[in-house]
Amino acid sequence: MIATLLVIPLTLLGMQQQDSIAARLAGRVTPDVATLVQQLSVAASARGLPVDPLIQKAIEGSAKGVPAERVATAVRWVAMQLDTAAAALREGGVVTDTLVIAAGEFAISAGLSNHDITALARTGASVAALTVGLRVAGTLAAMGVPSAENIGLISTKLRSGRPPGDLLLVPADVQSEIARGVTPAQAAAGLERAAAAQARHDPPPGRGNPPPHPPAPPHP
Amino acid sequence: MSEHEFHPLVKQLLDGDITLAALPPELRAEGEEALHLLAAVDRSPVQLPAVSRRVMRAVASRPARSVWRRVVEPRDVRLRIRPWLLAPALAIAAALILFLRPAPTAAPGSLITVRFVLVAPDAHEVSLAGTFNRWDAHATPLVRSGPTGVWTATLTLAAGQHQYAFVVDGVRWVPDPGAPAVDDGFGRRNSVLTL
Repeated sequence: MIATLLVIPLTLLGMQQQDSIAARLAGRVTPDVATLVQQLSVAASARGLPVDPLIQKAIEGSAKGVPAERVATAVRWVAMQLDTAAAALREGGVVTDTLVIAAGEFAISAGLSNHDITALARTGASVAALTVGLRVAGTLAAMGVPSAENIGLISTKLRSGRPPGDLLLVPADVQSEIARGVTPAQAAAGLERAAAAQARHDPPPGRGNPPPHPPAPPHP
Repeated sequence: MSEHEFHPLVKQLLDGDITLAALPPELRAEGEEALHLLAAVDRSPVQLPAVSRRVMRAVASRPARSVWRRVVEPRDVRLRIRPWLLAPALAIAAALILFLRPAPTAAPGSLITVRFVLVAPDAHEVSLAGTFNRWDAHATPLVRSGPTGVWTATLTLAAGQHQYAFVVDGVRWVPDPGAPAVDDGFGRRNSVLTL
């Protein structure tokens, strides 16, 4: 009885997922690549990994006219990177969701290591903030910021408890510093020092600034 | 030991179905002989205490199967579909599909307008392909503004991470010179946009 109640829904769910993936791939990739992506996606989904990066990579390769064998290799590579990212995040004590794993995969593809991902995960930031932090760290890596300065800057930002949206300004800040003539490493190191100094002066997040003066007494 | 087949009525006598008096006179001697043989048999249960102890000891010392082994050991499973359970099973399936389907990657409200620019004086057509339009090289054409060869397109994109490239004259994939880029896995570069 329990088997009926469990097996049928799970089978239908798997079929629905495969149909959805097949629909996204239809007409965009060769049948062989579509079959491979479906197999990898089902396996990835069972491990709690996102499937969107696999589908996107397959479609991207086909759109660019890349031979099917090379597309298949690239999709397998993305699947491996997703596994690596998920493991690195778990190592850092993060309960992973698909968005943060995808962000970790991007950061790895941009040049960060699994140790870098774990270091960011250990900042204790929320999963939402960590997701943005990983995306920004990947972007900084793509801009040429070395890992040490990159992780130092993003870790400091994450620990500051500032809203995740603030992190999105970091690439532009680094770009501005580079435009002034410093290297990407110097730009990131300078911004990290500034962020650390600001964190020392700012109150912990959530407590707010104390009022400068006591509140005025109510009018009689 | 010689084989001896008793008369069926004598067998009934041995089974207790009939009495000796019920046998025909010509079978009574055979019946008495059979009863005599039966009485000679020792029907007390055989006691083998050493064997019992050894068996019980072996059972007691047998390691218990771990829960993990019970889960992972392959075994035959027979699945019987009970028709009266189909309705609740389908209801659970519908609930699972509703609750477990992938969540949208960005909140509907977090949309950001982005302007893409490429200077390509010699191009006849330029378009934009990326994760936001499923890498469709025809979905997002850029517009040439004036004779300077500046091509632009303005898009509203969801917050998150996007990768893209310009497609020049339908064949040439060009990364955005004004944006960071990563290896695309195919020997080219994808531009990166984090919103």
